[in-house]
Amino acid sequence: MLLKSLLTGFVTAASFAFIYRVPQKQVLRCGLIGAAGLFVFALTGYLGQVAAYFLAATLVALLSEITARMAREPVIVFLIPGVIPLVPGGMAYTTMLSFLQNDYPGGFEQLAVMLFAAGAIAGGITVTSSAFRALYRPRRGHAAD
Amino acid sequence: MEDLVEIVLLAGEVLLTNGAEIQRVEETIARMGKAAGFLSAEGFATPTGLFVSFYAPDGRVYTRVRRIRAVKNNIAKIAAVNSLSRAYASGEISTDEVKEALLELTKPEAVYFWPAILASGPGCAGFALIFDGSMLDALFAGIIGMLVALIGAWLSQYPIPRIASSAVGGTIVALCARLFCQFSAADMNKIILGAVMVLVPGVLMTTSLRDMLSGELVSGVSRGADALAIAVGVAAGVAVVLSVGV
Repeated sequence: MLLKSLLTGFVTAASFAFIYRVPQKQVLRCGLIGAAGLFVFALTGYLGQVAAYFLAATLVALLSEITARMAREPVIVFLIPGVIPLVPGGMAYTTMLSFLQNDYPGGFEQLAVMLFAAGAIAGGITVTSSAFRALYRPRRGHAAD
Repeated sequence: MEDLVEIVLLAGEVLLTNGAEIQRVEETIARMGKAAGFLSAEGFATPTGLFVSFYAPDGRVYTRVRRIRAVKNNIAKIAAVNSLSRAYASGEISTDEVKEALLELTKPEAVYFWPAILASGPGCAGFALIFDGSMLDALFAGIIGMLVALIGAWLSQYPIPRIASSAVGGTIVALCARLFCQFSAADMNKIILGAVMVLVPGVLMTTSLRDMLSGELVSGVSRGADALAIAVGVAAGVAVVLSVGV
């Protein structure tokens, strides 16, 4: 189960790195960050969904900030493919499908789950990047923020 | 001065049309404006428009408005503008070089970007597995994902609203999934769930909430509405196929 999350996390993050046209020499790193994120999500699943999303997104943001500084690229090069395995896009679709099929209770339930999932991911990213902004003073000519 | 205004505006426009964060656009405009010799450059960026005022040392103020229509996701271009603006701010490259490089970035891209279309296959297959699908489901989801990415690239040449092209994508996904399930024991719902991941606005949703959390209310709300519209489009496309002849 955990091994599967590492594998699928890597494949989806690296694939979407191509889809979002990340500079191609960074695709491997994007895949590794995605794998780490989904692995932590699977590992912390017993804490509840929101906590698991928050922790996984925090780790992805942390790794993205560090990798971005090492590779001298903007953070979103790693952050966007990295959160792809976590992101609740499938839930957005199933929510709307429930509404369209007149399953309103099911739709609202999934809507709430999706909003909290997206909120937890966004919160994890925002907390991490704010911390980096506050603590880290960019050196001259350093291409990362 | 007019020339410098155009360059900074162009940098902002390239960033916005390729899906950069609002904060990055506004910071880049301020940084490049300072480097170009303005006292200050104030930018107001939203996902659908860019407003910039430049305060020149001779007391004049240059204000420009740029309407942003189609937004694509091209992180390589964002990275390129980012390093250009940094190099310009630290005086490593001249104004002419920046202008040339920016104009290069605004050139229209090829309609079919094959690495992205081919990568949609493993991407969707991986999601089918994340959603607990079998290997067979993943295989079908991957095939459909590539097909949908190809059709999406073809549709992107025409001025079609995103909700409509999402609906077309959803319809194709559901049609193919039903077809495959006629001939095999695959789970149709898992195939569809995997294959719609190339269409569905997961990143947009998260970006919208990130914008709101960092106080960018206008872009947060408008990106959220955009994500909702796309999700409705995809789901409508799928629902049409699922409701026929069950």
